[in-house]
Amino acid sequence: MDKPDQRLFDDLSSAEFRSGAEKGLWGLPSPDLLPEALQWPKRILWIAAAPRPNASERFYIALDAEGYRSVSPTGTFWDPASKSSLDHAKRPKGRPESRFAKVFRTDWNGGTAFYHPYDRVAAKGHDAWPREQPHLIWTSNHTIVDYLEEFHSLLTCGDYLGV
Amino acid sequence: MVKTELEFFLHGQGAKPQVISAAADDTLREALVRAGIIKEGQNEILVFVGECQEALADPDELEDGADQHEPVDANLTLEALGIGRHRHVHCHTCRHVATGINFGGKTKRHKFSPATTVGVVAQWARRKFRLDPTAAAEYVLQLCGTTEQPRSDKHLGELVERGTCSLCFDLVKEITPQG
Repeated sequence: MDKPDQRLFDDLSSAEFRSGAEKGLWGLPSPDLLPEALQWPKRILWIAAAPRPNASERFYIALDAEGYRSVSPTGTFWDPASKSSLDHAKRPKGRPESRFAKVFRTDWNGGTAFYHPYDRVAAKGHDAWPREQPHLIWTSNHTIVDYLEEFHSLLTCGDYLGV
Repeated sequence: MVKTELEFFLHGQGAKPQVISAAADDTLREALVRAGIIKEGQNEILVFVGECQEALADPDELEDGADQHEPVDANLTLEALGIGRHRHVHCHTCRHVATGINFGGKTKRHKFSPATTVGVVAQWARRKFRLDPTAAAEYVLQLCGTTEQPRSDKHLGELVERGTCSLCFDLVKEITPQG
Protein backbone atom coordinates (compact mmCIF):
# COMPACT_ATOMS: atom_id res chain seq x y z
CA MET A 1 0.00 0.00 0.00
CA ASP A 2 1.27 3.49 -0.84
CA LYS A 3 2.49 5.67 2.00
CA PRO A 4 0.72 9.03 2.55
CA ASP A 5 3.63 11.01 1.05
CA GLN A 6 3.68 8.68 -1.94
CA ARG A 7 -0.05 9.18 -2.50
CA LEU A 8 0.44 12.94 -2.47
CA PHE A 9 3.07 12.56 -5.17
CA ASP A 10 0.05 11.71 -7.30
CA ASP A 11 0.30 15.43 -8.14
CA LEU A 12 1.96 14.03 -11.25
CA SER A 13 -1.54 13.40 -12.57
CA SER A 14 -2.69 16.98 -11.85
CA ALA A 15 -3.77 19.31 -14.64
CA GLU A 16 -0.82 21.56 -13.84
CA PHE A 17 1.77 18.80 -14.21
CA ARG A 18 0.12 17.43 -17.34
CA SER A 19 -0.23 20.84 -18.94
CA GLY A 20 3.49 21.52 -18.45
CA ALA A 21 4.35 18.05 -19.74
CA GLU A 22 2.27 18.67 -22.86
CA LYS A 23 4.18 21.88 -23.46
CA GLY A 24 7.43 19.93 -23.18
CA LEU A 25 8.56 21.75 -20.02
CA TRP A 26 9.04 18.60 -17.91
CA GLY A 27 8.07 14.98 -17.80
CA LEU A 28 8.66 11.43 -16.69
CA PRO A 29 11.46 9.37 -18.27
CA SER A 30 10.58 6.34 -20.33
CA PRO A 31 10.77 3.16 -18.22
CA ASP A 32 13.92 1.90 -20.00
CA LEU A 33 15.84 4.88 -18.67
CA LEU A 34 14.92 4.20 -15.06
CA PRO A 35 17.08 2.14 -12.71
CA GLU A 36 15.67 -1.24 -11.80
CA ALA A 37 13.57 -1.40 -8.67
CA LEU A 38 13.27 2.32 -8.15
CA GLN A 39 11.66 2.51 -4.72
CA TRP A 40 9.74 5.31 -3.06
CA PRO A 41 10.83 7.95 -1.95
CA LYS A 42 13.15 8.05 -4.98
CA ARG A 43 11.66 9.52 -8.14
CA ILE A 44 13.21 10.59 -11.44
CA LEU A 45 11.88 13.31 -13.73
CA TRP A 46 13.26 15.52 -16.47
CA ILE A 47 13.21 19.25 -17.01
CA ALA A 48 13.63 20.94 -20.41
CA ALA A 49 16.49 23.39 -20.86
CA ALA A 50 17.08 26.17 -23.36
CA PRO A 51 19.09 25.04 -26.39
CA ARG A 52 22.81 25.60 -25.98
CA PRO A 53 25.71 24.28 -28.11
CA ASN A 54 26.73 20.73 -27.16
CA ALA A 55 24.20 20.58 -24.34
CA SER A 56 21.21 18.35 -23.90
CA GLU A 57 17.80 19.97 -24.18
CA ARG A 58 16.63 18.16 -21.08
CA PHE A 59 18.20 17.37 -17.75
CA TYR A 60 17.15 14.48 -15.56
CA ILE A 61 16.82 14.94 -11.82
CA ALA A 62 16.75 12.25 -9.13
CA LEU A 63 14.64 13.29 -6.16
CA ASP A 64 14.13 11.97 -2.68
CA ALA A 65 10.54 12.97 -1.95
CA GLU A 66 10.20 11.55 1.54
CA GLY A 67 7.67 13.54 3.55
CA TYR A 68 6.16 15.18 0.44
CA ARG A 69 4.33 17.63 0.61
CA SER A 70 5.02 18.60 4.22
CA VAL A 71 8.63 19.07 3.20
CA SER A 72 10.13 19.71 -0.19
CA PRO A 73 12.09 17.13 -2.20
CA THR A 74 15.87 17.08 -2.29
CA GLY A 75 18.00 15.91 -5.16
CA THR A 76 20.27 16.73 -8.03
CA PHE A 77 21.00 16.03 -11.69
CA TRP A 78 20.99 12.42 -12.77
CA ASP A 79 22.52 10.58 -15.70
CA PRO A 80 20.20 8.05 -17.39
CA ALA A 81 23.20 6.49 -19.18
CA SER A 82 25.17 5.61 -16.06
CA LYS A 83 22.03 5.52 -13.91
CA SER A 84 23.79 7.55 -11.27
CA SER A 85 24.32 11.16 -10.26
CA LEU A 86 25.39 13.30 -13.24
CA ASP A 87 29.13 14.06 -13.38
CA HIS A 88 29.82 17.64 -12.38
CA ALA A 89 31.47 18.23 -15.76
CA LYS A 90 28.21 17.38 -17.55
CA ARG A 91 26.03 19.63 -15.40
CA PRO A 92 24.54 22.91 -16.64
CA LYS A 93 26.77 25.93 -16.04
CA GLY A 94 25.80 29.54 -15.56
CA ARG A 95 27.28 32.97 -15.87
CA PRO A 96 29.73 33.42 -12.97
CA GLU A 97 28.15 34.95 -9.84
CA SER A 98 24.65 34.62 -11.34
CA ARG A 99 21.68 33.17 -9.48
CA PHE A 100 21.83 30.23 -11.87
CA ALA A 101 25.46 29.48 -10.96
CA LYS A 102 24.65 29.68 -7.25
CA VAL A 103 21.64 27.38 -7.40
CA PHE A 104 23.41 24.69 -9.43
CA ARG A 105 26.79 25.02 -7.71
CA THR A 106 28.72 21.80 -7.21
CA ASP A 107 31.08 23.09 -4.51
CA TRP A 108 28.44 22.83 -1.81
CA ASN A 109 27.33 19.56 -0.21
CA GLY A 110 29.17 17.63 -2.92
CA GLY A 111 26.62 18.73 -5.51
CA THR A 112 24.05 16.31 -4.08
CA ALA A 113 21.34 18.96 -3.68
CA PHE A 114 20.34 22.24 -5.31
CA TYR A 115 21.34 25.39 -3.44
CA HIS A 116 17.78 26.64 -3.34
CA PRO A 117 15.02 27.06 -0.73
CA TYR A 118 12.94 24.41 -2.53
CA ASP A 119 15.56 21.78 -1.68
CA ARG A 120 14.91 20.53 1.84
CA VAL A 121 18.59 19.82 2.57
CA ALA A 122 19.65 23.30 1.47
CA ALA A 123 16.72 24.95 3.23
CA LYS A 124 17.54 23.23 6.51
CA GLY A 125 20.99 24.75 6.71
CA HIS A 126 20.06 28.32 5.82
CA ASP A 127 18.05 30.03 8.53
CA ALA A 128 18.18 33.43 6.79
CA TRP A 129 16.52 32.25 3.57
CA PRO A 130 12.91 32.48 4.85
CA ARG A 131 13.52 36.15 5.61
CA GLU A 132 15.46 36.87 2.41
CA GLN A 133 13.31 34.81 0.01
CA PRO A 134 9.88 34.50 1.64
CA HIS A 135 8.20 33.71 -1.69
CA LEU A 136 10.24 30.52 -2.00
CA ILE A 137 9.43 28.98 1.36
CA TRP A 138 7.99 25.54 0.81
CA THR A 139 4.61 24.83 2.42
CA SER A 140 2.29 21.85 2.23
CA ASN A 141 0.35 23.78 -0.44
CA HIS A 142 3.32 23.59 -2.77
CA THR A 143 3.53 20.74 -5.25
CA ILE A 144 6.10 19.14 -7.49
CA VAL A 145 4.88 21.54 -10.22
CA ASP A 146 6.17 24.52 -8.19
CA TYR A 147 9.51 22.75 -7.91
CA LEU A 148 9.70 21.87 -11.61
CA GLU A 149 8.57 25.31 -12.78
CA GLU A 150 11.19 27.03 -10.63
CA PHE A 151 14.09 24.97 -11.98
CA HIS A 152 12.72 25.05 -15.53
CA SER A 153 12.76 28.87 -15.34
CA LEU A 154 16.42 28.74 -14.38
CA LEU A 155 17.33 26.25 -17.10
CA THR A 156 15.79 28.51 -19.74
CA CYS A 157 17.14 31.84 -18.51
CA GLY A 158 19.83 33.96 -20.16
CA ASP A 159 22.38 33.10 -17.47
CA TYR A 160 22.41 29.43 -18.52
CA LEU A 161 25.49 29.00 -20.69
CA GLY A 162 25.54 25.25 -21.45
CA VAL A 163 27.49 22.36 -19.95
CA MET B 1 -19.93 4.40 -33.76
CA VAL B 2 -17.03 5.13 -31.39
CA LYS B 3 -17.11 8.63 -29.97
CA THR B 4 -13.89 10.63 -30.00
CA GLU B 5 -13.00 11.69 -26.46
CA LEU B 6 -11.11 14.90 -25.87
CA GLU B 7 -9.35 16.08 -22.76
CA PHE B 8 -8.77 19.71 -21.98
CA PHE B 9 -7.49 21.87 -19.15
CA LEU B 10 -10.17 23.95 -17.48
CA HIS B 11 -9.18 27.14 -15.67
CA GLY B 12 -11.30 29.48 -13.61
CA GLN B 13 -11.40 32.18 -10.98
CA GLY B 14 -9.63 31.36 -7.71
CA ALA B 15 -9.31 27.65 -8.47
CA LYS B 16 -6.67 25.21 -9.59
CA PRO B 17 -7.06 23.99 -13.16
CA GLN B 18 -8.59 20.60 -13.74
CA VAL B 19 -8.62 18.02 -16.51
CA ILE B 20 -12.00 17.56 -18.20
CA SER B 21 -12.93 14.75 -20.58
CA ALA B 22 -15.79 15.02 -23.04
CA ALA B 23 -16.86 13.76 -26.42
CA ALA B 24 -15.74 15.82 -29.41
CA ASP B 25 -19.37 16.31 -30.47
CA ASP B 26 -20.50 17.49 -27.02
CA THR B 27 -21.10 21.19 -26.72
CA LEU B 28 -18.68 23.00 -24.46
CA ARG B 29 -21.68 24.02 -22.35
CA GLU B 30 -22.63 20.36 -21.81
CA ALA B 31 -19.08 19.56 -20.72
CA LEU B 32 -18.96 22.52 -18.34
CA VAL B 33 -22.37 21.72 -16.83
CA ARG B 34 -21.32 18.09 -16.24
CA ALA B 35 -18.12 19.31 -14.57
CA GLY B 36 -20.20 21.55 -12.29
CA ILE B 37 -18.51 24.70 -13.57
CA ILE B 38 -21.70 26.31 -14.82
CA LYS B 39 -25.37 25.62 -14.20
CA GLU B 40 -27.88 24.76 -16.87
CA GLY B 41 -29.08 27.98 -18.50
CA GLN B 42 -26.34 30.10 -16.94
CA ASN B 43 -25.10 32.67 -19.43
CA GLU B 44 -23.25 35.29 -17.44
CA ILE B 45 -19.94 33.47 -17.42
CA LEU B 46 -17.50 34.14 -20.25
CA VAL B 47 -15.69 31.21 -21.81
CA PHE B 48 -12.30 31.66 -23.48
CA VAL B 49 -10.59 28.99 -25.55
CA GLY B 50 -6.80 28.79 -25.73
CA GLU B 51 -4.09 30.68 -23.86
CA CYS B 52 -3.76 34.28 -25.02
CA GLN B 53 -0.38 35.66 -26.12
CA GLU B 54 -1.65 38.67 -28.08
CA ALA B 55 0.13 41.24 -25.93
CA LEU B 56 3.51 39.90 -27.03
CA ALA B 57 2.76 41.19 -30.52
CA ASP B 58 1.99 44.73 -29.27
CA PRO B 59 4.08 47.47 -30.84
CA ASP B 60 6.59 48.78 -28.27
CA GLU B 61 5.09 52.25 -28.34
CA LEU B 62 1.51 51.10 -27.59
CA GLU B 63 0.28 52.20 -24.15
CA ASP B 64 -2.80 50.90 -22.33
CA GLY B 65 -3.57 48.25 -24.93
CA ALA B 66 -6.24 45.57 -24.71
CA ASP B 67 -6.35 41.95 -25.92
CA GLN B 68 -8.94 41.13 -28.55
CA HIS B 69 -9.25 37.46 -27.39
CA GLU B 70 -13.01 36.97 -27.67
CA PRO B 71 -15.17 34.74 -25.51
CA VAL B 72 -16.64 31.85 -27.49
CA ASP B 73 -20.18 30.57 -27.92
CA ALA B 74 -20.26 27.66 -25.46
CA ASN B 75 -23.15 26.12 -27.40
CA LEU B 76 -20.69 25.03 -30.08
CA THR B 77 -19.13 21.59 -29.96
CA LEU B 78 -15.62 20.93 -28.68
CA GLU B 79 -14.66 19.94 -32.20
CA ALA B 80 -16.00 23.15 -33.74
CA LEU B 81 -14.15 25.20 -31.11
CA GLY B 82 -10.87 23.43 -31.83
CA ILE B 83 -10.48 22.33 -28.20
CA GLY B 84 -8.31 19.40 -29.27
CA ARG B 85 -5.82 21.90 -30.65
CA HIS B 86 -6.11 24.73 -28.12
CA ARG B 87 -6.32 22.44 -25.04
CA HIS B 88 -7.08 25.21 -22.53
CA VAL B 89 -10.52 26.59 -21.62
CA HIS B 90 -10.94 29.46 -19.18
CA CYS B 91 -14.28 30.41 -17.56
CA HIS B 92 -14.43 33.85 -16.03
CA THR B 93 -16.77 36.70 -15.15
CA CYS B 94 -14.30 39.34 -16.39
CA ARG B 95 -13.91 40.19 -20.06
CA HIS B 96 -10.43 41.54 -19.33
CA VAL B 97 -8.08 41.69 -16.37
CA ALA B 98 -6.89 45.29 -16.12
CA THR B 99 -3.28 44.85 -15.08
CA GLY B 100 -0.76 47.41 -13.88
CA ILE B 101 2.93 46.54 -13.55
CA ASN B 102 5.28 48.78 -11.55
CA PHE B 103 9.00 49.08 -12.11
CA GLY B 104 11.50 51.87 -11.54
CA GLY B 105 8.80 54.34 -10.50
CA LYS B 106 6.77 53.79 -13.67
CA THR B 107 3.65 51.76 -14.40
CA LYS B 108 2.72 49.98 -17.62
CA ARG B 109 -0.89 48.94 -18.12
CA HIS B 110 -2.67 46.48 -20.35
CA LYS B 111 -6.07 44.81 -20.38
CA PHE B 112 -5.18 41.14 -20.69
CA SER B 113 -7.45 38.24 -21.47
CA PRO B 114 -8.12 36.23 -18.26
CA ALA B 115 -6.57 33.30 -20.17
CA THR B 116 -3.14 34.97 -20.29
CA THR B 117 -0.39 33.28 -18.30
CA VAL B 118 1.78 35.10 -15.78
CA GLY B 119 4.74 34.07 -17.93
CA VAL B 120 3.36 35.98 -20.92
CA VAL B 121 2.67 39.05 -18.77
CA ALA B 122 6.21 38.93 -17.38
CA GLN B 123 7.65 38.67 -20.89
CA TRP B 124 5.48 41.60 -22.00
CA ALA B 125 6.53 43.69 -19.00
CA ARG B 126 10.26 43.02 -19.46
CA ARG B 127 9.99 44.22 -23.04
CA LYS B 128 7.87 47.27 -22.17
CA PHE B 129 10.39 48.33 -19.52
CA ARG B 130 13.23 47.67 -22.00
CA LEU B 131 15.18 45.33 -19.73
CA ASP B 132 18.41 43.87 -21.09
CA PRO B 133 17.30 40.51 -22.57
CA THR B 134 20.24 38.62 -21.00
CA ALA B 135 19.29 39.76 -17.48
CA ALA B 136 15.56 40.07 -18.02
CA ALA B 137 14.62 36.58 -16.84
CA GLU B 138 15.86 37.44 -13.36
CA TYR B 139 12.97 39.91 -13.11
CA VAL B 140 9.70 38.32 -12.07
CA LEU B 141 6.20 39.44 -11.20
CA GLN B 142 5.21 39.84 -7.57
CA LEU B 143 1.66 40.66 -6.51
CA CYS B 144 1.61 44.20 -5.10
CA GLY B 145 1.74 44.41 -1.32
CA THR B 146 2.70 40.73 -0.93
CA THR B 147 5.75 38.52 -1.28
CA GLU B 148 3.81 36.18 -3.59
CA GLN B 149 5.35 35.52 -6.99
CA PRO B 150 2.79 33.46 -8.92
CA ARG B 151 4.06 30.63 -11.10
CA SER B 152 4.49 31.48 -14.76
CA ASP B 153 1.89 28.91 -15.88
CA LYS B 154 -0.92 30.48 -13.81
CA HIS B 155 -3.62 32.30 -15.73
CA LEU B 156 -4.37 35.87 -14.65
CA GLY B 157 -8.01 34.85 -14.23
CA GLU B 158 -7.00 32.34 -11.55
CA LEU B 159 -5.39 35.13 -9.51
CA VAL B 160 -8.17 37.72 -9.68
CA GLU B 161 -10.20 38.09 -6.48
CA ARG B 162 -13.95 37.70 -6.78
CA GLY B 163 -15.72 40.97 -7.46
CA THR B 164 -12.74 42.55 -9.16
CA CYS B 165 -11.29 42.44 -12.65
CA SER B 166 -7.87 43.85 -11.99
CA LEU B 167 -4.40 42.90 -10.78
CA CYS B 168 -1.33 44.83 -9.69
CA PHE B 169 2.22 43.50 -9.93
CA ASP B 170 5.67 44.78 -9.12
CA LEU B 171 8.47 43.63 -11.40
CA VAL B 172 11.18 42.53 -8.95
CA LYS B 173 14.63 41.01 -9.23
CA GLU B 174 15.03 37.44 -8.04
CA ILE B 175 17.33 37.12 -5.05
CA THR B 176 20.48 35.05 -5.40
CA PRO B 177 20.77 32.59 -2.51
CA GLN B 178 23.67 33.38 -0.21
CA GLY B 179 25.17 32.01 2.95
